[in-house]
Amino acid sequence: MNKIAIIYSFNTKKTGKIAAQIQESFNDDTIALVNAEEIRDEIFLSYDQIIMGVPTWFDGELPNYWDEFVPALEAMDLTGKRIALFGLGDQKGYPENFLDGVGMMAEILEAQGATLVGFTSREGYDFESSRALRGDHFVGLAIDYENQGSMNKDRVASWVDQLKKEFA
Amino acid sequence: MSTNKKYSIKKTDKETLAKWLKLMLVGRAIDNRAPNYLKQAIGWSYHAPYAGHDGIQLAIGQIFDREHDHLFPYYRDMLTTHSAGLTAEELILNGISRDTDVAGGGRHMSNHFAKPEWNIHNVSSCTGNHTLHAVGVARAMKKYKVPGVAISSQGESSVSEGYVYEAINGASNEKLPVIFVFQDNGYGISVPKADQTANRKVANNFTGFKNLKIFHCNGKDVFDSMNTMVEAKEYVAEHEHPVIVHANCVRIHSHSNSDRHDLYRDDYELNYVNEYDPLAKFRRMLIRYERFTEAELEAIENEAKAVVKAAHKAGMNAPQPSPESIHDFVIPEPYVSEKYPDGLHQDEGDSKKLIDGLNETLKAEFRQNPDTFIWGQDVANKEKGGIFNVTKGMQQEFGKERVFNGPIAEDYIMGTANGMSRFNDKLRIVVEGAEFADYFWPAMEQFVETSHDYWRSKGQYSPNITVRLASGGYIGGGLYHSQNIEASITPLPGIRVVYPSYADDAAGLLRTSIRSKGVTLFLEPKALYNSTKVATPIPDDFEVPFGKARLRREGSDLSIITYGNTTPLCVELADKFMENGIASMDVLDLRSLSPLDNDAILATVKKTGKVLVVHEDKVFGGFGGELVALINEEAFEHLDGPVKRVGSTFTPVGFNRILEAAVLPDIERIEKAATELLNY
Repeated sequence: MNKIAIIYSFNTKKTGKIAAQIQESFNDDTIALVNAEEIRDEIFLSYDQIIMGVPTWFDGELPNYWDEFVPALEAMDLTGKRIALFGLGDQKGYPENFLDGVGMMAEILEAQGATLVGFTSREGYDFESSRALRGDHFVGLAIDYENQGSMNKDRVASWVDQLKKEFA
Repeated sequence: MSTNKKYSIKKTDKETLAKWLKLMLVGRAIDNRAPNYLKQAIGWSYHAPYAGHDGIQLAIGQIFDREHDHLFPYYRDMLTTHSAGLTAEELILNGISRDTDVAGGGRHMSNHFAKPEWNIHNVSSCTGNHTLHAVGVARAMKKYKVPGVAISSQGESSVSEGYVYEAINGASNEKLPVIFVFQDNGYGISVPKADQTANRKVANNFTGFKNLKIFHCNGKDVFDSMNTMVEAKEYVAEHEHPVIVHANCVRIHSHSNSDRHDLYRDDYELNYVNEYDPLAKFRRMLIRYERFTEAELEAIENEAKAVVKAAHKAGMNAPQPSPESIHDFVIPEPYVSEKYPDGLHQDEGDSKKLIDGLNETLKAEFRQNPDTFIWGQDVANKEKGGIFNVTKGMQQEFGKERVFNGPIAEDYIMGTANGMSRFNDKLRIVVEGAEFADYFWPAMEQFVETSHDYWRSKGQYSPNITVRLASGGYIGGGLYHSQNIEASITPLPGIRVVYPSYADDAAGLLRTSIRSKGVTLFLEPKALYNSTKVATPIPDDFEVPFGKARLRREGSDLSIITYGNTTPLCVELADKFMENGIASMDVLDLRSLSPLDNDAILATVKKTGKVLVVHEDKVFGGFGGELVALINEEAFEHLDGPVKRVGSTFTPVGFNRILEAAVLPDIERIEKAATELLNY
């Protein structure tokens, strides 16, 4: 298995905690933690297996650090890259846009040739709509700190087990 | 997020990026320093900062084409208007309310940026009500087959106003070229948007509307906003129907300088809205993607500072308005009748009923002026032309483009009249404001709005509208088919109010109303539409000037001053007294309530020394009180007795005929009061 990077904003608290849990679940010291606030093309492209932390902001937007990187992503050839997305949303507070950030990022990455992995079932979630939904599955891992925080560890552990196979 | 990628950080040419940055820097600098003018007691006492709306406001201004489009900005649209072409100096002149403010010379509130000369309209503080004006002007654009769009901009919370729904419904139904922009910063002053409507994105409330496309964009992002606005404008042109652009923004500061957002927003929120500052993001992108060097950006920033400094200096040296100017531009000069300067004629031909006088005058005016339009509820369906058939046959003769029904939405009828009139000053619009005057109340906000457009724009925009309303009772109509509303309207400066009684006067006043600039409320005494008592000969070209009363009977013992439905009652009494040798009386039919014929009133008072004021409306609070006050102030020494009044009781008008008769004035009550005065 090639070296894996978890890219997320080091300024975040909740997303950062999930990133730490993912790293811990992998139980692999070689997994790199990369700050999305300082991401550059060459850093991003240096990994073939990437886990991206993409929270949803406002009423369905990417956070600035990702949004400002989109023009760079749109110029990349991501063929051969395996990318898994995890996102944080609030099913009750923002039920119309649950995990939209993950959905938006998924569309951008796929358009550049990336292979997305780590899809998860929507079972156990209750929201109105999500751009991250394809059929019965999210295009990544959905974390809801506000309403289902107690399920985070199990969800992360299960997802990492899945990724170990899909990254292999 | 727009799928249109015309603009991006990588593709957009450097000159354009520099232009945008400079607009944003100048706008933000003025936005930031506006509160200082208040602190220094210079002005700008109302300032609604736009910071956080930068992307969408830049985009609205950039797609605005002053040759073809109409822009209706709201009070937070400083960058919108700067981007649309208003200079920094013009922004400051508006902020500190100087005489040279292009919006209206300091007459309207600060932060209401406009330039009517360029179709950047001077809009109300009544937030969101300009949606109806955008729809109205778009209707004219469609009817006259000219290119362009009407762009209406507002905050997301003002969408809660009922008239916004009326506007979007109408634009959708009439398929009009309107872009409704909702700038969503999450708050209406301190009220979170969750308290406004169930959808977090209020634009989604309109998903069931036909002929309406809804776009969403990131209003904090310059490129997404530009791409969305360009796409929206192209969509309107291609599909010929309206769109909504819902732009997500942040409000970095308080709602305005009378609000303190730290009372209801926590530090976390205040911190993150700062982090999402659109201007800072744009600057970061310019550096990140190597479109500009730091040195280049600093040079542009210095240019912007210089622009603002010079604008400030010019603003501080600009003249203040003079106090004497308050009487300028209250209402435009009316059409002047050369043939009938006093509104009198000697025609002795066949008598015509009042309703026929109105119908024939409308048709005659529509024949001679192709830029005339009429609409209202129920005005045109085959053989029917209005609830009383005043507009009968008009649609058949003038077509559906000029004569058409409105929805049952009085504010829409009135508001789109205001909007359509903005297309150009040749248009003359007649509306049946409501089925009955009683139903005009929902339109009052637009009516009040329309009353001061001319004044607050310092004469740059005159709504040229005749509002017809079937008024009064005596038909067994009950509480909602009997009301008189003149006492509520005459206190409004900027509105002419006429209330004829006889067929010839109705025809003559209607002609003058339609030919005049400005707004005329034309009250029709519906009980007299078909009355033979008020049927008269009517010269084909008859005109009655505003503010000219008419003596319908002449005498020397008593003056009765009246108008509307009670005039024929007073005439009947005068004839009876004359025939019976009891008294000879002046019966002065006012015809116009505003302007009022003071000279005619004072002349009859001086002649007889005794005055009875008669009107159908309630005595308490009725228009007659104004007449009594005038006579008291101007002719007290000529009075031989108290000025008395006859009118309705201080009650609603009951539906049962017995109740109605107990409420409304009749000839017996007038006779009793007249007799008392004669014997005084």
